Amino acid sequence: MRKLWLIAKEEYLRRVKQKSFLVTVLGFPALMIVIGGISVLVALGGRDARPLGYVDLSGVLDERVVPALRAESGRFTEMRVYDDEDAASAALRADEIQAYYVVPEDYLSAKEARLVYMESEPSQRTRQDFQEFVRASLVRQQPAEVRPLLSEGFNVAVRSADGRRELSARGIVGFILPFVMIFLLFFAISTAGGYLLQAVTEEKENRTMEVIVTSVSPEQLIAGKSLGLIGVSLTQILTWVSVIVVGVIVLLYANEGLDAVSLPWDVLGLAIAFFVPTFGLIAGIMITIGGIVTEAQQGQQISGLINMLFILPIFFMVLVLSRPDSPFMVGLTLFPTTAFLTILLRWSVSTVPLWQLAVSWGLLVISAAASIWLGARVFRLGMLRYGQRLRIGAVVEGLRTGRTPQLRADAADKEVV
Amino acid sequence: MNGTTNAAAAVSGLAKSFGQFQAVKDVSFEVYPGEIFGLLGPNGAGKTTSIRMLLDIFRPDSGTVEVFGGPMAEAKKARIGYLPEERGLYQDRKLASTLVFLATLKGLSEAEAHERLDVWLERLDLQEHRNKKVQELSRGMQQKAQLISTLIHDPDLLVVDEPFSGLDPVNTRLVKDIIEEERRAGKAIIMSTHQMYQVEALCSRIVLINRGSTVLYGEVNKIKREFAGNAVTLEGQGDFEGLPGVLESRRENGAWHLALATGTSPQDVLRDLVRRDGVTIERFEVAEPSLDDIFIRVVSESPEDREGAVHA
Repeated sequence: MRKLWLIAKEEYLRRVKQKSFLVTVLGFPALMIVIGGISVLVALGGRDARPLGYVDLSGVLDERVVPALRAESGRFTEMRVYDDEDAASAALRADEIQAYYVVPEDYLSAKEARLVYMESEPSQRTRQDFQEFVRASLVRQQPAEVRPLLSEGFNVAVRSADGRRELSARGIVGFILPFVMIFLLFFAISTAGGYLLQAVTEEKENRTMEVIVTSVSPEQLIAGKSLGLIGVSLTQILTWVSVIVVGVIVLLYANEGLDAVSLPWDVLGLAIAFFVPTFGLIAGIMITIGGIVTEAQQGQQISGLINMLFILPIFFMVLVLSRPDSPFMVGLTLFPTTAFLTILLRWSVSTVPLWQLAVSWGLLVISAAASIWLGARVFRLGMLRYGQRLRIGAVVEGLRTGRTPQLRADAADKEVV
Repeated sequence: MNGTTNAAAAVSGLAKSFGQFQAVKDVSFEVYPGEIFGLLGPNGAGKTTSIRMLLDIFRPDSGTVEVFGGPMAEAKKARIGYLPEERGLYQDRKLASTLVFLATLKGLSEAEAHERLDVWLERLDLQEHRNKKVQELSRGMQQKAQLISTLIHDPDLLVVDEPFSGLDPVNTRLVKDIIEEERRAGKAIIMSTHQMYQVEALCSRIVLINRGSTVLYGEVNKIKREFAGNAVTLEGQGDFEGLPGVLESRRENGAWHLALATGTSPQDVLRDLVRRDGVTIERFEVAEPSLDDIFIRVVSESPEDREGAVHA
């Protein structure tokens, strides 16, 4: 157990200290910070602090709603009323206001107001504030019992027939967040798979295997490396999730209009349930490839194709959104390599029947166990074949007979007998 | 082989096939504490496969392996130091951290590993390179670094495969001294090499493997005595090559050294030489065969011609 831990620790520390890891892990947060920063700058820096004037010829606007709007948003644009357009125009020229609206007498039927400004148009946020002011004034004229409905709108809840899921029409962040989480989780898993492939081929490239396996068993070596790389994955995910949480908070601050965010716990729960077996499946496949090939580069070409099998659902995103319960989607749900992404994507927009979840998870666990079993055996067969690729026929022969297969005649001299 | 001997390692009747190719057919030997044991054989004889079976890297198809009085176990691996012929260290990592990592896998604590590493780096003149990446070191330096990883955990059984390859004379002497020291400290050492003069200088007993089978096994002195009369040294002028019954003729320090095949006596050779035209003999004597001669003779002769392994 101590050796397993030592190998895991060594693998973890070596990876997280690598420049490529730092670039991958910190690159994403850096991008988020840049986007967030720009968003905040646009939201804050683009605003004109001067009041917005208005001339109300219709009598619709009611100054008494302003304190309530101010209370709702501390940065609500100050509104300044003028008796006529001449006064408003003079104030505009005197630079006292950034612009003014003229609300005509027939506003209720024409539904149009005129905006006058000097050089630059008021920001969208300022214009939204004025619209809010108009809406609040109109609502105030309605009977008290309908005012909340008019001001807060409807919240349509869609509940699945079996009552297990409920989707709210509100919360755009709540809709996007699962997708972001899914892709991050998946990206982290496939990155760890790539690292594992490297870790296996590196032992062969460096000819270190023979020394290592006189200290630990090949199974301990592989298990330790996998454990270390799961740690690397989790570090990656935790860093990104922390950045996302901070990013969301910043964005909420910058855009007060965004709905409150509720974490998609159900998606996270499912992701965790499928995370371990999916990692196991990828790990087993990568170890198998690493056991067969001689150099990391050869392995990467093959693993690129394998990765395609895992990211297939992304190519069918439109189908996921439009027909999440189609037979094709059910097929992708049950197929081990595509189960992780398909289920989480479907879950975000619809429901997945319990039987499909259970069968898919079962198949995934079985195939993960099988791939790890295969990986461990192929690794043993190929671990001392320095500079020599293991033929598929030899793998089958080795697995069938449990004996080390014969070397290829043209490369037999590469293994010391 | 039985469990009552104090052998550090004992293998008996080892056999191993790779597909249709039988790499090892029948290899047996025992190694005791306080001795340097030579594991010899031509390329492809099955030496490395035998070592790998001894170290539990390969499972034998048949035969038994005992280490420290019983089958190999995880805990026993910490008592073994192995210097493989295919040298390998993590090229992109720093020397000191790589060696400390390998030492901790052999059961040392990090503090202990650092402490011992300092002593070894100093001794092998690598101290100033400790923070360099392995790939920045010369082949000889990497060789010495690998030797440190073999010895740092103070193993009771050492298996060194071609320990002198890639070393200059100074470092060869240094490594030789270290191996001798380990023997004096009571360690059992298995040394596989093609440098016969090193075997003669260091080993007390040897096993010679040819085509996967043990063909010669025992004490070096006894083996040499048994093979005495199978070589002659002579000085003179003329052609001393291509003589019947002579396996090899080579010139050494101005004299000719002839290795004789089984059934060929020094008198037979002398008779043939006298009959040759243009040959003048100034000195002719029966030589004690070197291990080189014995090696060449045993290996050159087909194993089918021999009744079985020679035990001395």
